[in-house]
Amino acid sequence: MRAGASGFKVLFPAALACAALSGPMRVQVDAAPKPAVHEVAIEGLSFHPETLVVAAGDTILWVNKDLFPHTVTADAGAFDSHEIAAGRSWRYTAARKGTYPYRCTLHPTMHGELRVK
Amino acid sequence: MKTAGVFAASALLLIATTAAARSPNDAQIAAIVVTANQVDIDAGKLAESRGTKVDVKSFGRRMVADHSGVNKAAVDLVTKLKVTPESNATSDSLKAGGEENLAHLKGLTGAAFDKAYIDHEVAYHEQVLAALDKTLIPSAKNPELKALLVKVRPAFVDHLEHARKIQASLGG
Repeated sequence: MRAGASGFKVLFPAALACAALSGPMRVQVDAAPKPAVHEVAIEGLSFHPETLVVAAGDTILWVNKDLFPHTVTADAGAFDSHEIAAGRSWRYTAARKGTYPYRCTLHPTMHGELRVK
Repeated sequence: MKTAGVFAASALLLIATTAAARSPNDAQIAAIVVTANQVDIDAGKLAESRGTKVDVKSFGRRMVADHSGVNKAAVDLVTKLKVTPESNATSDSLKAGGEENLAHLKGLTGAAFDKAYIDHEVAYHEQVLAALDKTLIPSAKNPELKALLVKVRPAFVDHLEHARKIQASLGG
């Protein structure tokens, strides 16, 4: 394991150097992707999809398609939409990596999970 | 307390038994849905003001919000479909059961009120769910009416589970 890890450290700067040397076109391809926007539908007292995997910096838009309010509330307190009225939505930009189980505080059967890679 | 629970259960049981003999038409289903929601809105309003425990009061508030949302959608739909809700033995029985429950609850205070309200909510949601599954959803002819019933079904499942949790916290 040690040898592999140190090997990686040596190789990684070399790979970066190759990318830099290969010209401006190549550098653009390797640039960090633009943050994406993901939609989670809240309908029939479920989050669709129930588990969503995003990259740090991405935005998630929860759209309440039910006939009454819901919340999107992280179990450990990282985020809380408070009440999202019927037909309204709430957006959150996921800055920190981690796994965030969340729920609707108004309806105990509703659970979802946000994974930020 | 027991009397109210038993009364509510027997009144609601009519939905399943009446329809087992003869399926309600869409106009009758509309009346049953609107009445069933209204009965629970009225009980929820009373629990908001008269309930003692925070859980009971907030459950009452939730019933008012959720069932009002369902009723608004139901009324909008029947208006659009030009269906006039047609009262029937089941909707009449629901209405009478709701009034009886309110009268019973108004005579109670404190922990006795909380328990009677939540016991009734458990029985009510069990029976409405049974009616949705056995009668209302299978009988609905109009696809939009059927879709609305299917869409709101999970709310009744959630309310039932929620009410059972509160019931357990109140000591059964």
